[in-house]
Amino acid sequence: MGSVEQIVQLHGHTDKAWQLAWNPVEPLVASCSTDKTVRLYSYTGLVHPKFTLSTSISTGHTKTVRTIAWSPDGKLLATGSFDSSVILWEKQPAEEDKDDPSTGDDWDSITRIEGPESECKCVAFSRSGEYLATCSRDKTVWVFSVYPDDYEVSSVLMEHTQDVKCVAWHPKEDILASSSYDDTIKLYHDDRDDEWYPFATLTDHASTVWCMSFSPCGNYLASSSDDLTIRLWERHDDEWHTIKVLNGTHERSIYSVSWGRGRGGLGWLASGAGDGRINVWEMTRQPQEPIEARLITTQENSHGVSDVNAVAWCRRDGYTDMLGSVGDDGCLRIWRITPD
Amino acid sequence: RYLWSDDPDSKGPLSGLAGSREESDEDSEEGEEIDNIEIFELLRGIYDPEHPLTLEQLQVVNPSHIFIRPPNPPSPGAATNVLVEFTPTVPHCGMSTIIGLALRVRLLRALPERMKVDIRVRKGSHQSENALNKQLNDKERVAAALENTALLEVVEKCLAGEQPTLI
Repeated sequence: MGSVEQIVQLHGHTDKAWQLAWNPVEPLVASCSTDKTVRLYSYTGLVHPKFTLSTSISTGHTKTVRTIAWSPDGKLLATGSFDSSVILWEKQPAEEDKDDPSTGDDWDSITRIEGPESECKCVAFSRSGEYLATCSRDKTVWVFSVYPDDYEVSSVLMEHTQDVKCVAWHPKEDILASSSYDDTIKLYHDDRDDEWYPFATLTDHASTVWCMSFSPCGNYLASSSDDLTIRLWERHDDEWHTIKVLNGTHERSIYSVSWGRGRGGLGWLASGAGDGRINVWEMTRQPQEPIEARLITTQENSHGVSDVNAVAWCRRDGYTDMLGSVGDDGCLRIWRITPD
Repeated sequence: RYLWSDDPDSKGPLSGLAGSREESDEDSEEGEEIDNIEIFELLRGIYDPEHPLTLEQLQVVNPSHIFIRPPNPPSPGAATNVLVEFTPTVPHCGMSTIIGLALRVRLLRALPERMKVDIRVRKGSHQSENALNKQLNDKERVAAALENTALLEVVEKCLAGEQPTLI
């Protein structure tokens, strides 16, 4: 077995923390909470990274900020709330005559997106940054085209029969996945007219599918569920089939999976759940053999007795062994994973 | 009553209720395990949303339908699972989601966080048993429901009676 070492625990939220997002370009990590704020931390140093609060954004959302995502260029931050709205944020240019540098960066809301009729559950930017997908309890998935200071509705997808929990984009192509309280995963393409349509429904889960993450290579999808399994799906053109089920790894609902770069190859998969446990697997595959998931390490009670609501890998060069997690304790914790 | 299930939320800010807990948990957290009778004491005085009767009087809750599963192996830092099964008065009871939510809110406020609560209807006691169980144990939907002013008012009314603590 390898090991997991906690680099830091960052307190600050006064209520449940629901999700975290690593900026893909800058050394920044963001977390969001029922306390309606987003906290941004910067970090420096490779061997022993030091985390410093950069700013706390009072979002103006009137309910829980449930979800948060960066655009691929790292310049835009999207927040989605139980108040149904999505807000896009942009860092303001630093003022040279700023008296007090300790107040941190200023982030301004540049666009407020309305559309879905009930709680926003997840937001995600496509790999090009061209599209933003959101999903909601009103059973819809919305795809927006994002422009500087503006947006346009590209499609409203009403394929699910229940609350939609997660949206995730393929890392290389314009393929969107959504997962739901209806126990299914749907996959979508766009056509030449920019209309999105479903091309596959994955039905193997037996309960709510809370979260999904594509492998960095794009050939696999991991999904985590209230049925206490993590499923790995393999792509064959437009068809995706279960190739492995990770059973018995959690005892309560698995709220989050994240598939990171790890140390190359197929990368590392992390999961976080209501049982407080975080698991990390190394994913490998030999020619002509099925994919293998080798458990590198497990962290029990990673947020004390609290649920883990999200885990996410840093994807920046030099930091791909760094995992973040947030929980009902309002904490953002940063871990370093070392394989044996 | 359908606010939690399908309708868009009514507007209005409400903060922190899902995570708020009574301060008085300290003793019980250090002391002996909480048993099913103590959990029942917390729940018996909750009022039915439609009748001026308590859940005990209507036999919706019953101490023998409350199950505690301590951590195995025993460890002070680990979670204890609590399962509360309740019996709706009729199998088509439209108020069951509200009753379940009231049970959950009472326990959320009174129990230490290390006690992880599942709320279910008794097997065979409701025509939408699976749908109800799924909804009552979806933490995201519960958290959102508690930020819904109209729904929370109904729940608070059920909880308006005596507010027992574990001390």
